[in-house]
Amino acid sequence: MSSVILRNVNKSYGNLPIVKNLNLDVKDGEFVVLVGPSGCGKSTTLRMVAGLEDITQGDIQIGNKTINDLPPHKRNIAMVFQNYALYPHMSVRENIVFGLKKSGADADTIKNKLADVSEMLKLNEYLDRKPADLSGGQRQRVAMGRALARDADVYLFDEPLSNLDAKLRHHMRTEIARIQHQYNMTAIYVTHDQIEAMTLGDRVVVMRDGIVEQVGTPMDIYLQPTNTFVATFIGSPAMNLIEAKIEGEELVFDNYRLPATKIANVDMHSLRAHDSVLVGIRPDFFEDSTLSSPSDNLFEFNNIEVNLVENLGFDKEILFKLGGEDAKARLDLRSHVKRQEHISLSVDLNRVLLFDTSTQGMLLNAGEV
Amino acid sequence: MMNKRTPLQSVILYTLVLALVIFCVFPFLQILSTSLKHPIDWGNPSLIPRILHLDAYKELLGLMPAKEIDVPASIQRLLDNPALSAEKKQMLLAKFSSGGDVFPFGRYMLNTFVISFITGICSTFLASLAAYAIARLRFPAQSLMANGVLFVYMVGGVLLMVPLYQMSVNVGLASSAGGTIFSLFLIYLIQTLPVAMYMLGNYFRTIPFSLEEAAMMDGCSRVEAFWRIIMPLSKPMLFTVFIYCFVIAWNEYLFASVFLKQYQDFHTLPLALQTLFTSKNAIWDRIMAASMLTLLPVIICFMLANRHLSGGLTDGGVKG
Repeated sequence: MSSVILRNVNKSYGNLPIVKNLNLDVKDGEFVVLVGPSGCGKSTTLRMVAGLEDITQGDIQIGNKTINDLPPHKRNIAMVFQNYALYPHMSVRENIVFGLKKSGADADTIKNKLADVSEMLKLNEYLDRKPADLSGGQRQRVAMGRALARDADVYLFDEPLSNLDAKLRHHMRTEIARIQHQYNMTAIYVTHDQIEAMTLGDRVVVMRDGIVEQVGTPMDIYLQPTNTFVATFIGSPAMNLIEAKIEGEELVFDNYRLPATKIANVDMHSLRAHDSVLVGIRPDFFEDSTLSSPSDNLFEFNNIEVNLVENLGFDKEILFKLGGEDAKARLDLRSHVKRQEHISLSVDLNRVLLFDTSTQGMLLNAGEV
Repeated sequence: MMNKRTPLQSVILYTLVLALVIFCVFPFLQILSTSLKHPIDWGNPSLIPRILHLDAYKELLGLMPAKEIDVPASIQRLLDNPALSAEKKQMLLAKFSSGGDVFPFGRYMLNTFVISFITGICSTFLASLAAYAIARLRFPAQSLMANGVLFVYMVGGVLLMVPLYQMSVNVGLASSAGGTIFSLFLIYLIQTLPVAMYMLGNYFRTIPFSLEEAAMMDGCSRVEAFWRIIMPLSKPMLFTVFIYCFVIAWNEYLFASVFLKQYQDFHTLPLALQTLFTSKNAIWDRIMAASMLTLLPVIICFMLANRHLSGGLTDGGVKG
């Protein structure tokens, strides 16, 4: 296992920049997830680490050795591809041991590794089949097995679950997390699925347009997003952002006046420099007022008209208007709201975030970050 | 239902198809039929021989028993004369045996097979390297090169025949049998390479690049990835290309007729057949049997190629 360091890495195709000045340290044994919308440069970054794309500028180090000019086969990296890329003319067994054989492992090691991997991924009964005779989930497991059988310094995953159905994806997500912890692998995982990012990553790197927007633990990113892009990209349903006027020490929208002083982490001094702010409230942090226990840090949005109720089983998502925008709240099954009812929703002001309307950055008390 | 044919349409369709098939197959049937006919039957227009006569095949394949030499009694007495030298006796005997008539079919077939086989192997090998470069690598003037090779096809063989022979004379290749055959082999390579490259290049493009990337991640260099992933996956197409090159060389007449004219021992089958056709006494069953035997490998090749063409090896490797 090894650490991976990216220093001022740039990638452009002709004049079109894809990755801009990317810096990232992946520690030994750490699982880092790159997440972002399509075209944000996350896959390109991964492929640069793999050596499948040239680096336009900057350095990539693996285990403190700069590998910019090292061809892929000399980097000792294992990779799981989005489309699996199994060798169609080889059996599952041959696919799994191909890399091991190539690295010159002896027969015993190969045998043991194959047994380990096929046991772990439940591939025992398929070892003699060809990839064409496997289902999508099985192929995906073979692709994982092929990477895991290798004794690589770094493991790369390029959206490995995106071709699976929801149930299988959930299962494989758990498996990957378990295997990574078991082997203490250094891994970089690319996904556009924020649930995968949250559940798998020791740290999550949120990217947009070739730029790293935020690096942090999943909970950091969920609770303290640095800007509105991260705030809305991570978390489902997306965070509600409502523009509010600042009047004295109150944030005003619709008929609601939120006491700014009670919002955590906010520096009143810097707040006064603004006319308006974006108030960010995650749908998960709304509660049905009839069910919430009273606390002096709760703010109550009363007289809210429910436009739509989506029942998801344990949760239900309700749609309503807040500050002229569509807003969502996620309530649990104790709440019995119905469409077109008028209800009260309360929010713990500690959970409310404020963003600059022009820079979209989070407004923080410098001392609290 | 959609596109359902009326009985009349069906009749017309099948009649036309049948007519076309008969038109294509008839010459072959004629060859087969004549090759099996006894000389007394040659004038018979029917395709079915009155007597099945396999002597022509036996003769060509060297299966005929050595002919008894029928010598008139007067000559036999002459031969019995001890004063006559052994050499003279042989000369006398030769006049009564049909030795001058022997057609070394096996020899010609071997010649043709060797040059066709080597052409097929070399052309397929070189074409696979070139096709990979054109399909996958980026280098200056790539498309110029890719299209340039097809230029060979714009110029007919008849035009190139004389200059190419001149060239091989100039470099001294045409002065020996080996050199001549080598220059002929080079010409066959040039004649087959463009299409071979084109076929293989198109096939390589259907193999997902991520398979090579996976091989590279598994520790293969680009060259190893080519040998261990691309080549095994291309087996059906490699085989087809080999067959194509083999058949082109097998049937080639024009260049062989110029280059090999003075080397009778190295004649190829098309050339030999031509001598057979233009010989003074047309022995039809033998001519047609020779044609049939020349055709046979080609037919076998196409049947094999057909079987291999249908299989797609890259199924299941990547998710579409």
